Amino acid sequence: MKEWIIAALAGAATGVLSGFGVGGGSLLLIYMTSFAGVPQTLAQGVNLLYFLPAAATALPAHLKNGYVEKKALLPAIAAGLVCSALAAWAATALDVEVLRKCFGGFLILIGLRELFQKG
Amino acid sequence: MDKKQGKTLWYALAGAAAGVVNGFFGGGGGQVLVPMLAGKCALEQRKSFATSVAVIAPLCALSAAIYWWRGQLDWALALPYLAGGLAGGFVGGRVFKNLSMTWLRRGFALLILYGGVKALL
Repeated sequence: MKEWIIAALAGAATGVLSGFGVGGGSLLLIYMTSFAGVPQTLAQGVNLLYFLPAAATALPAHLKNGYVEKKALLPAIAAGLVCSALAAWAATALDVEVLRKCFGGFLILIGLRELFQKG
Repeated sequence: MDKKQGKTLWYALAGAAAGVVNGFFGGGGGQVLVPMLAGKCALEQRKSFATSVAVIAPLCALSAAIYWWRGQLDWALALPYLAGGLAGGFVGGRVFKNLSMTWLRRGFALLILYGGVKALL
């Protein structure tokens, strides 16, 4: 039960960021793989599912505030669906340790970018 | 190619890049999508973030289906995170309008770097 509560709290904390549009899923992946002992590939699957309720509850406010650029949706989603399907296929075929190293490299890159970005 | 077509192409490229990252790492699509929407697509910053939520959600749904199909989806494990995400997203959507993003950034960067080092070591 305690683990369940901690997981829900972690999801809620990162869910705020996911509702903003960036960073929540990355942090939740770090939490699951570094602290909760979830293997990389399984954590990624959880993270994909977790984004759905977070987006569903955040989007009505974004739409109401007029922050969603509707012209972007069709081209970005169409191209994104094709690429995400191929990438998901590749990730689930890959050795979990290799995937974890790739994830580490990705995090270092975006962390450095965030740290040194101006403005 | 006129300006409108050019912009549509950049939206598609941004979505494609986000799809690659999001499907491969099971997340992180916004890390790629938001800068591209704000940069090449010249969207206002807040719009870039909110639009990213709308674009990433269907990509997550499709990727999750593929993870499931490939036997890499643990529903019982996911359940508490789903409950948390539901609540967090609700709060995120509501406070977003009045949010100052600069203070958030440095702390976020350090957490991400920490995660990167842990994953590599």
